[in-house]
Amino acid sequence: MKTTNFSLITKNGIGRLTFDLEDEKVNKLTTPVMKELNKLLDELKHKREIKVLIFCSAKKDIFIAGADIREIQDISDPSEGENKALMGQAVLNKIEALPFPTISAIDGAALGGGCEFALACTFRIASDNPKTQLGLPEVSLGIIPGFGGTQRLPRLIGVSKAMPLILTGKSIDHKKSEKIGLIDAFYSQAFFDDGVESFAKSIIEGSSEKRIEKRRKKQSFLIDNTPIGRAIVYKKSQASVLKMTKGHLPAPLKAIKAVKYGLKKSLEKGLIVEAQYFSDLVVTDVCKNLIQLFFTGEELKKFSGVRDQVLSKPVTFKNGGVLGAGLMGGGIAWLLSYRGLNVRLKDIGWDAVAKAFHTADKIYSQLVKKRRIKHIMKSVYMNRLSATITNSGFYHSDIIVEAVVENLDIKKSVYSELEPRIKSSAIIASNTSALDITELADGLKNPERFIGMHFFSPVNKMPLVEIIPGEKTSDKTVMETVAFVKQLKKTPIVVSNCPGFLINRILMPYVTEAIKMVSEGVSIKLIDSVAVKFGMPLGPLELADEVGLDVGYKVAKILEDGYGDRMTVDSFFESIHRKKELLGKKSGKGFYIHNSGKKEVNPEISLGKKSNCSASIIEERLFFIMINEAARCIDEGVVDNPRFLDMAMLMGTGFPVFRGGLCRYADTIGASLIVDRLTSLEETCGNRFNPADLLITYRDERKSFY
Amino acid sequence: MKERIAIIDGIRTPQAKAGEQLRSVSADDLGAYALKELLARTEFPKENIDEVIIGNVAQPANAANISRVIALKSGFPNSISALTVHRNCASGMESITSAACKILAGQGNIIVAGGTESMSHIPLLYGKKMTAFFEKMMRAKTLKQKLSILSSFRLSFLKPIIGVVEGLTDPVCGLIMGLTAENLAREFKISREAQDDYALNSHLKALDAIKSGRLAEEIVPVPLQPKYDTVLKDDKGPREGQSMKALSKLRPFFDRKAGTVTVGNSCPLTDGAAMTLLMSESRAKEIGLTPMGYLKAFSYAGLEPERMGLGPVYATSKLLDNTGFTMKDFDLVELNEAFAAQVIGNECAFKSDAFSSKFLGKDKALGEIDPSILNVNGGAIALGHPVGTTGTRLVITILKELKRRNKQRGLATLCIGGGQGAALALEVD
Repeated sequence: MKTTNFSLITKNGIGRLTFDLEDEKVNKLTTPVMKELNKLLDELKHKREIKVLIFCSAKKDIFIAGADIREIQDISDPSEGENKALMGQAVLNKIEALPFPTISAIDGAALGGGCEFALACTFRIASDNPKTQLGLPEVSLGIIPGFGGTQRLPRLIGVSKAMPLILTGKSIDHKKSEKIGLIDAFYSQAFFDDGVESFAKSIIEGSSEKRIEKRRKKQSFLIDNTPIGRAIVYKKSQASVLKMTKGHLPAPLKAIKAVKYGLKKSLEKGLIVEAQYFSDLVVTDVCKNLIQLFFTGEELKKFSGVRDQVLSKPVTFKNGGVLGAGLMGGGIAWLLSYRGLNVRLKDIGWDAVAKAFHTADKIYSQLVKKRRIKHIMKSVYMNRLSATITNSGFYHSDIIVEAVVENLDIKKSVYSELEPRIKSSAIIASNTSALDITELADGLKNPERFIGMHFFSPVNKMPLVEIIPGEKTSDKTVMETVAFVKQLKKTPIVVSNCPGFLINRILMPYVTEAIKMVSEGVSIKLIDSVAVKFGMPLGPLELADEVGLDVGYKVAKILEDGYGDRMTVDSFFESIHRKKELLGKKSGKGFYIHNSGKKEVNPEISLGKKSNCSASIIEERLFFIMINEAARCIDEGVVDNPRFLDMAMLMGTGFPVFRGGLCRYADTIGASLIVDRLTSLEETCGNRFNPADLLITYRDERKSFY
Repeated sequence: MKERIAIIDGIRTPQAKAGEQLRSVSADDLGAYALKELLARTEFPKENIDEVIIGNVAQPANAANISRVIALKSGFPNSISALTVHRNCASGMESITSAACKILAGQGNIIVAGGTESMSHIPLLYGKKMTAFFEKMMRAKTLKQKLSILSSFRLSFLKPIIGVVEGLTDPVCGLIMGLTAENLAREFKISREAQDDYALNSHLKALDAIKSGRLAEEIVPVPLQPKYDTVLKDDKGPREGQSMKALSKLRPFFDRKAGTVTVGNSCPLTDGAAMTLLMSESRAKEIGLTPMGYLKAFSYAGLEPERMGLGPVYATSKLLDNTGFTMKDFDLVELNEAFAAQVIGNECAFKSDAFSSKFLGKDKALGEIDPSILNVNGGAIALGHPVGTTGTRLVITILKELKRRNKQRGLATLCIGGGQGAALALEVD
């Protein structure tokens, strides 16, 4: 039997239904597929020759990737969403109601709808394919599972194990799945077909059903099967969600409610509520923003770094060099070694070199502790580092990342000493955050192989890398550097060689505006709390303390030089900077006094005056000034498009994901209102709020960033 | 040898007494670190290297065929061939001479040869009784059986076998190495004072070599595990302020009642690694490399295990026979200092006609070793003797020194536990 996307072969009582979505690389549960499946299931239930039915996939490394995200993105009406969920649930209910047992044979990803599909079967078995992943990632798209996931998962594995899966959206491999009872068995991929076959046979013979049932019942009885135990789980889940999301993301909270309701009432009632919550969420801005970010991420994965060009052949970097063993150099050396490169590290003294080894070792030790890597691998990775205080050993480096002090002359002399010792095809990439890339390249023999590559600190945590081509940097170098950053599993964003590049250029006005408000007498706590309430991970003044006021001041000065008037460094900032002991966290005090974990406002900063600036004005001053600068960046082509800018802000500054990014946020407010407010702020606060041309154009032409 | 073997470059880690600075660095990590530096300094492409041969004595249980472990940890591709060699104290020479043989036999063109040793990591072992106890426990099936075996346990089972002591004790003559040195002290009537004086000199020469930066030329500093927050830059063995007075206070260590050999006039247990890159002289010329030096010839010889310290005399005798060199042809001599008594014993034997006729079947002495060219940068008594590494270190040290002095030929020789000697003739252009 064969339909458009499914084919059925029955032999010896074992039916094998293979899902092979036409003209696609992956299997997705689109509406047409669900309709087809619905009809198919009506026929299947009458097939008496089937004693057991196996569901499997014809796609490599994919069981079912989930629902069609485009389809979810396009849902604009809650009732449309509810109908889709109910329809999907009805189809999966039919699987559950088939007169014979069913088995999902999972050899690859079974995510979202795919996982829910598997949950509706009697049994689930998987291969040990490294691509085998099960999970319910819906919350990361701002929705909850809508095909029964919130109901069937806790019923199968117990609420205490189901909650983390539903609430974090993280997927798990075959081993973990088997351990928590999400799958009933796994087989090696090489013998997967045999394994599936023998499992199916044992089901027909009735020899393993009881054993499996018994295994599944091994839930934690006191927690999962008592009202008190469950209540504790709900409460704990709620608390951890609120801690993680600060209440900005509605989906996980709704998921908890759906689980709770369903377990209290019944599967049928639970499903209705689940569909209803799904439809409430699917039309929200948050959901649309998160989906947009998902697609932007996919777009970035494919983007070569230069529009309409791709590398003629893929490159893999095997040997890397790092110049400068400070905090950044150490972090970068760690990253390169972790991602498989042999690293040659240089600094002027061995004690400095040791610091980089120490930094790398510390990060590896954390990874061992978190069980992300095995202990013996730490030694293998650490052995990828070799060090020197000369220029020897760089000849085989494919790329050399320079992270020495931010001083043009020092950097240039480092390059001129090194260049004769490296191969002509090697890329030299500077991790400068402040200097002009074109100027740095001046004097090099191969300036076309020179580029800016700005990592953020701490390197092991921050996912963004700004890539900055200078005037003479070749397209090939840009694309290879982008490929390199992808090899490091970071997100590369190509930006123009302008002062502050992209992130610092947009973020700095936000920080200096906050400092300006402090000088006007606005409370430090209030400013930071407004930013945190907005969704920023840290308030601007906390951030300034973290980064260090001296560093911040330096960057602010560079931006002042580059952009003049609108980025003038406030005299108040100067006065704080002059007080040498106020460096922020590293000196113990800045805007706050940092005392072993506790943080209190530093009374020295207080000016005696009091301003009654309202929270909404504070918010506008902080965020509209960023929007204004972002608009200029888009206008000048500092970054390829607003989507990339938004992703960069998210990854580089922790801009709240649920807002979708800075441009996306601006779009939800609308250009006309923003221009209005900027104009008014310009009158009261100064001409740095003078609206950017692009915003005025958008207002006049009723356009938006997206 | 039909052609000289070019030693392109050599590098080693600093050496430190076992249990001190390098105690947290395993032998494979130590070797890999040195090998990475060799590759970095020569900038020679790994892909063109045919084999890695490493000498190692205490072969750690967790790094079987340590050479392969070192090769992979230092970034060689999976295709690299690697083997570990063991000739006790000459393992670090054996790696070089094995490589030479392979190159001359056409079994590989370019080979890494070196040595590594972490004597800090030599384990304590369970004794036979404890092992038997474990075996029985594992085989026991019922609770009753288990209990009955458990009741047979005695605290004495826990007495460990000390790996280092086992390794340094000759299984044929039953003597620990220090006692073989006592034998030589008696054979040649070498006083305690002469031994201490020799030891003091070794320290003084080594300290001078460190201070003048001569040894730094062959050393790559090592950031130290476990935290990598400090760096070991120099050899830590040589003692500032070592004196005859301090040396004379030490009690004989091996023969406590009537002995002369103390820890002060013996080499300490040591950690360290050294690596060289080898190819035929013609290949080096073809590629256009300037080698650090050449291996001209080598010999190994055997003798009574209880006189093992005299190995250098026997091996050198053979070397001279094979090459036609006389002792006068050597501008420098590195004779490994296992024990001061053993070095002095060799000095006596080298110049003794009687010894020659009695043991070497020659009517004349091999020739006196001029003390002013012997171990000019100090030796193992000060610098330490990481057993698998020393052979390679001697080759590197002597070649660098020959070049510094603008001299031509050197003899690197050492005694080998178990009763052997090794002698290498080394040259620079």
